[in-house]
Amino acid sequence: MSARTISLRRLPLVEEKLSHFRYGKVAGRHLVTNDMGAWHFLDEASFEDLLAGRIDQGHAEFKALQEKGFLREGFDLDRAAEQMQRKKRFVGQGPHLHIVITTLRCNQSCKYCHASRTNMDRVDTDMSLETAKQVVDLAMQSPSPYINFEFQGGEPTVNMAALRFIVEYSREKNKYENKQLEHSLVTNMTYMTEENAEWLIENEVLVCTSLDGPEELHNYNRTWRQDQNAYANVRKWIDYFNRRYIEVGRDPQLWHVDALMTTSRKTFDHWKEVVDLYLELGMHTIFLRPLNPYGFAVDTWKRIGYTSEEYLEFYKRAFAYILEKNLAGQEIVEGTAATFLTKILTADDPNFVDILSPCGAGTGQVAYNYDGKIFTCDEARMTSAMGNDMFQIGQVQDTSYAEMHGHPTVRAMAVASLQDSLPSCDTCWNKPFCGVCPMHNYMTSGDIFGQRPNSPKCKEHYTIASVLFEHLADDRDGKFEKIFRRWTLTRPRELSSDCKT
Amino acid sequence: MTEQAQPEAETEDFAFDLGEREISFSIDEDLYALDAIYGASYLFVDRCYLFLSRLAERKVHVRLRTKEPSSEAELEALAGEFANELLNSQLRFRIGRATAGIRAQYMARAFFGSGGSSTIQDLLAELDAEELAEDALEVPVPWKDSPAQQKGES
Repeated sequence: MSARTISLRRLPLVEEKLSHFRYGKVAGRHLVTNDMGAWHFLDEASFEDLLAGRIDQGHAEFKALQEKGFLREGFDLDRAAEQMQRKKRFVGQGPHLHIVITTLRCNQSCKYCHASRTNMDRVDTDMSLETAKQVVDLAMQSPSPYINFEFQGGEPTVNMAALRFIVEYSREKNKYENKQLEHSLVTNMTYMTEENAEWLIENEVLVCTSLDGPEELHNYNRTWRQDQNAYANVRKWIDYFNRRYIEVGRDPQLWHVDALMTTSRKTFDHWKEVVDLYLELGMHTIFLRPLNPYGFAVDTWKRIGYTSEEYLEFYKRAFAYILEKNLAGQEIVEGTAATFLTKILTADDPNFVDILSPCGAGTGQVAYNYDGKIFTCDEARMTSAMGNDMFQIGQVQDTSYAEMHGHPTVRAMAVASLQDSLPSCDTCWNKPFCGVCPMHNYMTSGDIFGQRPNSPKCKEHYTIASVLFEHLADDRDGKFEKIFRRWTLTRPRELSSDCKT
Repeated sequence: MTEQAQPEAETEDFAFDLGEREISFSIDEDLYALDAIYGASYLFVDRCYLFLSRLAERKVHVRLRTKEPSSEAELEALAGEFANELLNSQLRFRIGRATAGIRAQYMARAFFGSGGSSTIQDLLAELDAEELAEDALEVPVPWKDSPAQQKGES
């Protein structure tokens, strides 16, 4: 053992002059944030002035810091409460996203299948109409004024009868409930027929598909029958829907097929082509999403997985390219960034259930499996497919809405994702914009609370928010903020189009 | 009128021992709150094994053992990083403590204030209160809860 000494400089703090804030170093400056979602960059000297209570009327930063609620002097409690209330409006509204697994059968066998699909002969994994009716009866009891039934699988169109029944029955029921009711379908298009497509268009079911990138990449990730080309098929149906929306007189800005991509190791070699493809297809949004530790991805991780650091390098490269395209006049939004930007640049929260505090498990979303088992979220039912029903909160056949919503597991998930009570989160500058996924914690660490320094999601959210703030910090002519603000605009139809899996 | 003295930054020595894959040091709880020490330590759980013990009254001994082999320079950098995080953690702890009251107030107003959505229980309670206010004879008030009874009158 050898003894060493380093010299530390302790900054003075005048406590009675401060309002509550968090801080951190971003882009070489001090970023201060608060619960109301306000933020401000300070240089070293001004930050020390803030701590030491030297920000008074004559200080260059006084007006901005007071207006944003960082100073005790002139702090408006009522205004702060109103801003908080608006940001946290989702709390207590009840689940709005109801994910229905109409079947686990699927004719594709994707390398990362999070849902643990079953073969096409497994008709026992189809949802019965009786169960479908019970799902609607339960879901429509949510006090949320907005209800979205999102159909997932397996491939949900394999059990079109259940899908159609839920759409028609919920519409019928809504004549009395008067909620804003929407339906969205996440489909790989491999089972699509013209008859079904026309029915979906006519019944205004929003369609979202999977498109992992160019042909070679898409077909590698999403294995289909040997004689079939999954990529060509999905392109064919995207074109079909988009053409038909126009032909029946729908606004193409609001009515178009959305697509989701999942990043595998192979995507790293094609990141630019993925963005180019989405642009070529006129997609409005590209959602860069990492692999998650559910389903088949757990077993195939060694072949197609990667570290958080590798993913974030990919993300940064792709994000920079997307931004470059926007600067050149092409409009395409990166989905995860848009979620953060809505929190950073607007008075609202986008209510995206994966990035919320507390998270939406059981309170913002509920997942109904084909057999009627109810789960806190889609990730929980994916875990169930791996043989772990720990996050089941009921069974549609015999569980009341109150039992489901007040289930101890729902409460545990809320506690485990309430950042105000989580070490590191509560003091992190990114807290007002971030969110925790207890299911992800559970799958990566065996504990719904997890440990922030070991959490890949924490690294992901922190890095993405940092990238955004780095652009905002160095944006003298406002060109980045202009684009970012455009990304936060939500058109009515897009409230429910961000299909999440 | 005399000008108020401006608080100045203070410097202090942070002494640590450097050994094979580890650093250790004692922290004075009169300078750093225990929560701040925990907060700083927590940030290193991905890279180090942490051992906290109390060797003397109000002295916390911290030992960080790196999970991977580390050079002397890396260990020195680790000590510096911990010291910085300790300073930050203490600042954050003090800001949190000093502003807890304000925070509690705007949180309470946001979630339980008049602007919040009323539950049926709130509405029923309001109706009950109105009925009680209109009822001069206090008919629905149980005898044992009546103001007269509580004052000791019979």
